[in-house]
Amino acid sequence: MRIPDSLFTRRRFLGALIGGWLLALAAAVLSPLRKFIIPPYREPDEVTLPLADYASLGVGEVKPFAWGIKPGFLRKTADGAYLALVGVCTHLDCNVTWLPERSKFFCACHEGWYDENGRNIAGPPPKPLRRLETAVEADNLVVRKPGFVR
Amino acid sequence: MSRVGAWFEKRLGTSGIIGFLSHKEVPQHEHTIWYYTGSAVLLFLAIQIVTGIMLALYYQPTIEGANASVARIMTEVPYGWALRSVHSWSATFMIAIVFVHMLSIALLKSYRAPRELTWFTGVVLLALSLAFGFTGYLLPWDDLSLAATKVGTDLPKALPVVGAWVTKLMRGGEDVAGDTLTRFFIVHVCVLPLTLLAFLGGHLFLIQRHGISLPLRAERKNETPPSLPFWPNFVLREGMVWLVLFAALLTIAIFFAPSLGPAADLLAPAPAGIKPEWYFLFLFQTLKLFPANILGIPGETIGVALISLAAAFLFFLPLIDSRPAEKRGRVMTAVVAAFIVYALAMSAWSLL
Repeated sequence: MRIPDSLFTRRRFLGALIGGWLLALAAAVLSPLRKFIIPPYREPDEVTLPLADYASLGVGEVKPFAWGIKPGFLRKTADGAYLALVGVCTHLDCNVTWLPERSKFFCACHEGWYDENGRNIAGPPPKPLRRLETAVEADNLVVRKPGFVR
Repeated sequence: MSRVGAWFEKRLGTSGIIGFLSHKEVPQHEHTIWYYTGSAVLLFLAIQIVTGIMLALYYQPTIEGANASVARIMTEVPYGWALRSVHSWSATFMIAIVFVHMLSIALLKSYRAPRELTWFTGVVLLALSLAFGFTGYLLPWDDLSLAATKVGTDLPKALPVVGAWVTKLMRGGEDVAGDTLTRFFIVHVCVLPLTLLAFLGGHLFLIQRHGISLPLRAERKNETPPSLPFWPNFVLREGMVWLVLFAALLTIAIFFAPSLGPAADLLAPAPAGIKPEWYFLFLFQTLKLFPANILGIPGETIGVALISLAAAFLFFLPLIDSRPAEKRGRVMTAVVAAFIVYALAMSAWSLL
């Protein structure tokens, strides 16, 4: 049925009304499900480590730490500061290892190489290892995301 | 037909099924309302499958992790509390409608020839639904679920010969412990769903095979009541019922989320005033009635034996009342009505 001068029939109007309403219902049901399937994990903004554990580190030596649930590496640089790297290969997410005898980080998955500063030097990695900021605060060594302010 | 449709038709040959569904008719009479209960059960089953898979993304079926993982779902995972609440309430809705569905068929005598097998598969589906409820109740691993499972798995012991072995099988040992939790989980998410889908397939096939049953009056007068096309008329009406039930489910689930007690302690006493889920209340109250000893036989054994007899009566109902479809069934109507009154009265009593 179409009222004179109407742009559409009554059936089309009702069809669109009910169809649109069903779409809205489906969206209202699916959106919480979409949120539910991703668990709330957040990478830490900063981690606090006891400075005593790392104070004895010689220049150029590397010691691991836990960056949330990812491996991290701390290296003492020539000027006595600490360099913090996230030990996850930038190629396909494997954890890297530190090879002290060669002073390089190595990813066994696809033979990726990084130098002691985390720069990608050989193999498939497209980017250097992620760097984090470090600061010595009282008895603690604080590692934080670049630019994070408490 | 489109070319894609023709391609599939050539390989699948589904036009027979589609033709059958497009010509399927649903009779319209004073008892048509009971036809909606079957598809309503399917709605809640679908909700259970979706929300169950969702919950299993985070649930951990171990004695150390179970309660904490449910707590995490309730407090940390986005909308986790809502999903668990919907899963828990949808179970209640589903079992309630399964009962209504079954009682309506018992009262209308739709189980009579040639629909005996449909009834048998239906009783198995009822048992499976209750088994879902029983196994699912343990999974949060709090004080209530532990006590309920201790009682439920202890009951078979009262049966002679096989009882003790059944209890051991259910518990995975002499006592309810971590192994019980893990096997309840795998039964809840794997064994029962596969079994249920198999029996449901048979149930639905048989309903199509015999056509939907008519009320006794129509059978007696050999008349054909007016009918409605299944597609789209009846399905759209079912859709309206689903929407109303879904709205009721969500509303209740949002406002009355289930609680979670502290993790079960195997050494703690049972919590005071403990009761099973509502659909087990009448059995719970029945078992309470039996004294410790009746003529030298343990009361529990007699209670469990009587309940087993009642279950067998329910299962074999089409063979016990095997009269032709058009005969009245006043005795059976009275028996079913008496059962409804008994179950309601016992449930009410247990809540006093």
